[in-house]
Amino acid sequence: MSEEKTIYGYAGNILRINLTDQSTELIPTEKYAKTYIGGRSIAYRIYWEEMNPDIKALDPENKLIYMTGPTTATAIPSGGRSVFVSLSPRTLPEMCTWSGLGGWFGAELKFAGFDGLIIEGKAEKPTYIFINDGEVEFLPADDLWGQYVHETQEKLEEIHGKEIKSFVIGPAGERQVRFSTITTANDNAAAKGGFGAIMGSKNLKAVACRGTGKITPFDIEKVLYLRKTMNTPPDRTNPIKHLDAFMAGPNVNAPVEGGMKETQVACSYGCNQHCNRMLVDVKSGTSRKRKNRVEKCVGVFAMGFEENCGWMPNQTFITEQNHAAPCKTLSGDMDPPDLTDPHAAEIFAWRNADKVNFWKSDYDKGNVMMDLCNQYGIDKWETTVGVLPWFAMGKKEGVFEGMDFGMPIDVESEEFVRYILKCIAYREGPYGDILAEGMARAVRTLGQEKFGKTIYHDRYSGIIEGKQLDIPILLETAWGDMFHWQGRGFQSAIDITGWVPASLQLMLSSRDTQTVAHFHATWDYHEAVKDDPYHNRLVPQNVIECEDREIIKDSFMSCEWQAPDHYWPTMETEMLYAATGQDMSLDEMHEMAVRGRLLFRAILIRDSGRSREQEVNAIYPGLTYPDSVGLTTSWEDWNDLVDLYYEERGWDKETGWIPRGQYEKYGLKDVADELEASGKLPK
Amino acid sequence: MREQETLYGQKSENYSNHIVQYPPEVSVCAGCTSCEAVCAMVHDGAVSPSLARLHLERSTVMMMHTIWSCQQCKDHPCYEACPKKDKAMLIDEELEIAYVNKDECVGCGLCVKACPFEPKRIHLELEKPRGKAIKCDLCRTRPEGPACVEYCQVNCIGLSEDPIPEADTGERGGLF
Repeated sequence: MSEEKTIYGYAGNILRINLTDQSTELIPTEKYAKTYIGGRSIAYRIYWEEMNPDIKALDPENKLIYMTGPTTATAIPSGGRSVFVSLSPRTLPEMCTWSGLGGWFGAELKFAGFDGLIIEGKAEKPTYIFINDGEVEFLPADDLWGQYVHETQEKLEEIHGKEIKSFVIGPAGERQVRFSTITTANDNAAAKGGFGAIMGSKNLKAVACRGTGKITPFDIEKVLYLRKTMNTPPDRTNPIKHLDAFMAGPNVNAPVEGGMKETQVACSYGCNQHCNRMLVDVKSGTSRKRKNRVEKCVGVFAMGFEENCGWMPNQTFITEQNHAAPCKTLSGDMDPPDLTDPHAAEIFAWRNADKVNFWKSDYDKGNVMMDLCNQYGIDKWETTVGVLPWFAMGKKEGVFEGMDFGMPIDVESEEFVRYILKCIAYREGPYGDILAEGMARAVRTLGQEKFGKTIYHDRYSGIIEGKQLDIPILLETAWGDMFHWQGRGFQSAIDITGWVPASLQLMLSSRDTQTVAHFHATWDYHEAVKDDPYHNRLVPQNVIECEDREIIKDSFMSCEWQAPDHYWPTMETEMLYAATGQDMSLDEMHEMAVRGRLLFRAILIRDSGRSREQEVNAIYPGLTYPDSVGLTTSWEDWNDLVDLYYEERGWDKETGWIPRGQYEKYGLKDVADELEASGKLPK
Repeated sequence: MREQETLYGQKSENYSNHIVQYPPEVSVCAGCTSCEAVCAMVHDGAVSPSLARLHLERSTVMMMHTIWSCQQCKDHPCYEACPKKDKAMLIDEELEIAYVNKDECVGCGLCVKACPFEPKRIHLELEKPRGKAIKCDLCRTRPEGPACVEYCQVNCIGLSEDPIPEADTGERGGLF
């Protein structure tokens, strides 16, 4: 970093690392910063410029792009987060997607002088990269290859000192398991893109970093103000609590013999929240020594999955008196409900979860299962909602009769869980190699009708007494993902005013969006659309709002616990100003968000055949299964809604493609030119 | 080498008021590193691990973190070792602590050598060619007191002579 010229908020350069010839190159961040700000938007621009439709996810030519944002390392709350973008081996088909990462690595990289990384090529043999204050070393990973995630992290600290930060893969990433993770400190993982497999395909075990430089925020007083105001920081002690049971909401209360201990931790550098629950002194899957482990959302159900996750409207729909960022409602740090709200009775009315009867409560087994996910480096969602429910349901429906998995199927047994996860992570046993391709691909190999679509008959509504609800044994929705807040599958209790837009968001994306862009709207919206969400423009309008906010979040760098604050619309522009001095208007922020969104869709259109036909066919089958009260979606209704969405966006209703004028309006003429050349602009 | 004291809520014979980390029964460090970040910001207008006056040793896997802070020795070995004492290293008579005047510091590092703790509670800026000494001054000119304490979201650090906070084991407001 130059002393002569202060670059507020940014480190100054993006570092290109070529593993094939061990070369590096610096790309000035300012090439992109003004127009794309940071994070996902810059990564999409780089992806557009450098990738092409012929590349496959696990080819050396695929690029793993890692970006921080201008708020990273400025102590602006939630700015410590960062994001990967790449061609995903997990999505079906392979598509450009993203995956966020908390922890301390992003800040450390900026202290080392870099705003992001473009990792390309393939190392000849197992390698790791050490970035030390601007210097880059390519080092042999012989002693690291084969190690679990935690052991890899510890070994790197042993070699380079405790102060280094790293992101690493485990044995699953090495074997290119398509749902393998990239993991950093505090059990933070970029899990949903399967990007661990990309590192594995490049023979890259880890990237370690030490940075001692500085990042200069433009307005320190403003940073301190944001720290005091964003999401009202807890400002209370955080002791280890001794509890008799593992609890999560009204319907998860699993007694733990001998009790359990928990506290809370922050996910990333410089945040003013500590959203994540840390379970203290729990059973490990890989060591006799007990350990501490961070638990977020889905892992709750590893501990016991007899009932699904319930829902109350305030998780999705807000009023001025009762509003919190989407995930804040789950973190245990939400302000007490304001019961003087005239809508309080409705928005805090608990909606019971489905009874699914997958497996009984077992705290030790659940901890082992989640620790194995951490240690092998595999996605907890795919494991907890995909793999193990598939075994539970498939066994009850008899689809596995005559098949030998190498051990009798018993999801209640810790031994079986250990066995099957090991088979997947190491691609061993009779079916390990198939399951390691991800459940969506696995059932297509085995036969989708039987192994993907057989109906499970032990799902019952928690709302309508005795009502049995069909669900397929693989909880698959669009793009090879598992249902999430979609009225069926995981977190199914959400009502139709929530699951319709959540499904639309997924249809328009390339992976589960209900992680960084939970559908969120006002209670007024809910009231307006509840009778017919398919023919009301408020639905696509609110989806567009969530989509745009998603880009802002992942470009400025914020998170689902902090943003958006619907009653503080300038929060993100204030964050940007404090970090960089850039005084962005709300209109300019909106323009930046739409530009990022168009670029993302342009990539999908150019590289992955994205069209109306593709996306409607991907999402629709899942919507034919009943929601938690038995509602399904008709083909006509869904297509009417898609029409409304395209109209609101100004896209072509026949193809789902974007007209030239839209690209040009947002400064993407070159994108339109390239798409036109390949015949992918609407006529 | 001196052992770190773990006295809370009382005056110490050997150390002036200083930053302490409370035990996990009171409050677990959330690992947010805000203490380091705000420390560097209020002193130097930038965020950097090399500019922070206290150090958070983060535990990547077990996530129980340790905060290392200057113990503010009453006999001021860092001050005594300074070749430019009373110019580069001075004593705040009211707080009874030593503090650095960066304008005068030549970065000789003798104060660091003299610090009787491991890890050292005083260090040199890592900027080259020669960084100035960096040492906790309890934000002596800041009316609100130490910024690290003010911005610790979990109140896991405080001043040694202040009463130890009560552990908040009550129910939280969240759904989960």
